[in-house]
Amino acid sequence: MLTFIVRRLAYSIPVIIIASALVFGFTRATTDPLARLAQSRDAAELLPRERHRLGLDKPLVTQYTRWAKDFVRGDWGQSFISRRDVKSEIRDKLGNTVQLIFWGILFSASIAIAVGVYSAARQYSALDYTFTGLSFLGLSMPVFWFALMAIQFLIYEPTVLFHLKQPIFLSVGLHSANDHSLVDYLRHLTLPVLTLSVQLVAGWSRYQRSSMLDVMSSDYIRTAKAKGVTRRKVLLKHGLRNALIPLTTVMAIDIGALFGGLIITEHIFAWPGMGRLFFDALLSGDTNMVLPWLMVTAVFIIGFNLLADVLYGVLDPRIRLS
Amino acid sequence: MRRRRSAALLTLLAALSLVAAACGNNGGGDGKATTTTEGAKAVKGGTLVLGAEQEPDCADWISSCAGASWGTYTMGAQTMPRAFDLTPDAKTVPSSLLAGEPKLESGPPQKITYKINPKAVWSDGQPITSSDFKYTWDQIKNGSDIYDKTGYKDIASVDDSDPKTVVVTFTTPYAGWHDLFGGFYGVYPKHLLEGKDRNAEMKDGYKWSGGPWMIDHWTKGQEVALIPNPNYWGSKPNLDKAVFKFITDTAAESQAYKTGQIAMFYPQAQLELTQLFTLPNTKHDVNTSLSYEALWFNTAKDPLTDANVRQALAYATDRDAIVNSLFGPVQPGIKAINGFMTPGNKQWYTSEPFKKYKKDLTKVDELMKAAGYTKGADGMWAKGGKPATLAISTTAGNKRRELTEQLLQSQWKEAGFNLTTNNTKAGTLFGEWGPQGVFQIALYAQVPPSTDPGICSTFCSENIPTTANPSGQNWTRLASPAIDTPWKQVDKELDETKRKDLVEQGQKSLADALPGLPIDPFPDVLIYNSAKLNGPIGHNFAFGPFVNMNLWWCTGGNCG
Repeated sequence: MLTFIVRRLAYSIPVIIIASALVFGFTRATTDPLARLAQSRDAAELLPRERHRLGLDKPLVTQYTRWAKDFVRGDWGQSFISRRDVKSEIRDKLGNTVQLIFWGILFSASIAIAVGVYSAARQYSALDYTFTGLSFLGLSMPVFWFALMAIQFLIYEPTVLFHLKQPIFLSVGLHSANDHSLVDYLRHLTLPVLTLSVQLVAGWSRYQRSSMLDVMSSDYIRTAKAKGVTRRKVLLKHGLRNALIPLTTVMAIDIGALFGGLIITEHIFAWPGMGRLFFDALLSGDTNMVLPWLMVTAVFIIGFNLLADVLYGVLDPRIRLS
Repeated sequence: MRRRRSAALLTLLAALSLVAAACGNNGGGDGKATTTTEGAKAVKGGTLVLGAEQEPDCADWISSCAGASWGTYTMGAQTMPRAFDLTPDAKTVPSSLLAGEPKLESGPPQKITYKINPKAVWSDGQPITSSDFKYTWDQIKNGSDIYDKTGYKDIASVDDSDPKTVVVTFTTPYAGWHDLFGGFYGVYPKHLLEGKDRNAEMKDGYKWSGGPWMIDHWTKGQEVALIPNPNYWGSKPNLDKAVFKFITDTAAESQAYKTGQIAMFYPQAQLELTQLFTLPNTKHDVNTSLSYEALWFNTAKDPLTDANVRQALAYATDRDAIVNSLFGPVQPGIKAINGFMTPGNKQWYTSEPFKKYKKDLTKVDELMKAAGYTKGADGMWAKGGKPATLAISTTAGNKRRELTEQLLQSQWKEAGFNLTTNNTKAGTLFGEWGPQGVFQIALYAQVPPSTDPGICSTFCSENIPTTANPSGQNWTRLASPAIDTPWKQVDKELDETKRKDLVEQGQKSLADALPGLPIDPFPDVLIYNSAKLNGPIGHNFAFGPFVNMNLWWCTGGNCG
């Protein structure tokens, strides 16, 4: 197992290096961190001075290798744009994204498993068809549209309809101006979590359903039923436990990708997380911020992919990692 | 079973607490009445939550990491003392920092004497003195990371021998002196910053103030909160707190306003905003800002090397129709601008120079024939068998600009020009295509930093990008003494009447030589909830609409 993990980690190093070099090259080729300074009346003097100060007048390869050396030494540098410390900026934003992911995963997994199990147990029932339809709707719905509709129909309309002084849910950031209570936090958290969960629930519930159907047609389930084990026990103890194995690995991979992939949700709900940080940094050509972001995200993706492989071996002893 | 009941009970409690929170009261205030300068009855207390569609990068206003208008709107204008204010009708007047109008001596050398208001103090009670002016000048002139040294680099000395009198002496005449020790910069406190790393002290926000507000906290990516400066010598804020929430998505910002999470916002003009105008208790105020959009001709590229062709394009354009399509629903009656300036700049705007450029296809024919072109069987102009092909570039993804391009394509086709689009990212357009002269026709905006009319940096021949001066801003590459002479003089002339004449002369030269065609002024849109918010709310094109927020108040002391 240890050899497998070490080998997987070793394989990921060239992947990260290539990815960072490509992102560096593409970002430099398409954006200019000094473009915003062109509005200065003093641009003729300011631009060459800043280009020199930031080292942008050096060849691309020099810029990249200098960044890589500093990064490996633990010096993540300052943002080109805001001059903030990149490490603390990413740490803060990662903390906010983790909150969203934690609650989103908890909510999505609970609903998806419940829906998947029910749909498999009551295959071709009216509710199964309903869940199937809703899943396809969830998968095909653009996130930004769902988010705006959620604000309209879960915040605005109920506020008008019930003449509320304030909406039940809130859509701006993590907390209100004068209220940092848990209730206020939950009011802010609900819609981003719901938005994040729509596609996860839709995908995972389909996965859970098919996995459950596979398991329920297995010989050992038939044997358990023949031995007179109760339907509930067959379903939950023998069926669900085994059907969760493939879903667990899918979830691990999806969770890894979520660390960098919540751009739209964070943008619409003014949630100061990793996705928004990346979006702003990329648009402004702030490679000093984009590259460490990429490293952190890559570590999570690689880590969770590795976790998925390891979990598969642990949960299913028939699979040996070699 | 018990566990399930407990879970259900918890869920119910959570739901009830959310509903209770929704019905509850947010914020407070002691409800004490006072009187504002407007004569209406103001109420103390309350927290005002506002939407901010951009987050500033840093709060060291003179540094190259600053330069964003939203930095001034949210923090700079509220905390930095400045020599001059801008009135709602865009006139420059001495601020409360000064004891009166500064004394201008034309010289040579040009000298300005500022008298500082004896009551003016920093938030720690220390007086604001001439040494603060001198420190500010020194930081800007000698700093290595300064956003814009214009004007400050022309200062020879700042005399601070009298703490309440500042005497500024210039090396060369500088007509835009009203922008100094103010504008987006303000005056820096020497006693708090001298000997320290100024940028490190200020870039993430600072705890001192020389304005009506102080920065309480700036949580990056979320909000900046202001609280009253207890030692402000002018009108102290009525509100307990003002919080700017950073909502960078306009649709989300509109929804936040609709759902009552923000009481006011200051969005970029777009047609979708009209949906909000009819909401109950919603007031919207639209005015013409200082910013404008124009077509910029690269006069080094054929066929735009010929002034006749440029003029023919101007006569092929129905600018009012374009402006109406873009902004008519937001600002009814809006018209195309007739100079590289907008009517928002009341003191300097002149409405005549570009007035002649109205759609006139007969004029197009005359000018194109004079340039040696003939119309082919396809109705398109060509010269020596070579068609007058045109390509326009703008920032990809900007819907308004793409709509402008479509309207131009249709109008110019009717006049015999085939216009194609070649859009790119903002960074490429402004970082490469502009300076390197890659574009043929470009469509982009100018955002003047103040009402000062000088635009030599955009049009004078010395600012054409060259190998020696790669960052020159005259991307039209038109070198014309007729343009250079008045605009260079505008930057030096201290007599305002003569300066106005020079501006008119300069705009006329631009209209004749036509390095570009001004099109639309940007509407300045304010949307707020009048049931929650009161006071003299209006536009300020330099410092933003929140500049006099110290005079605003919440209905009943509660803006929640």
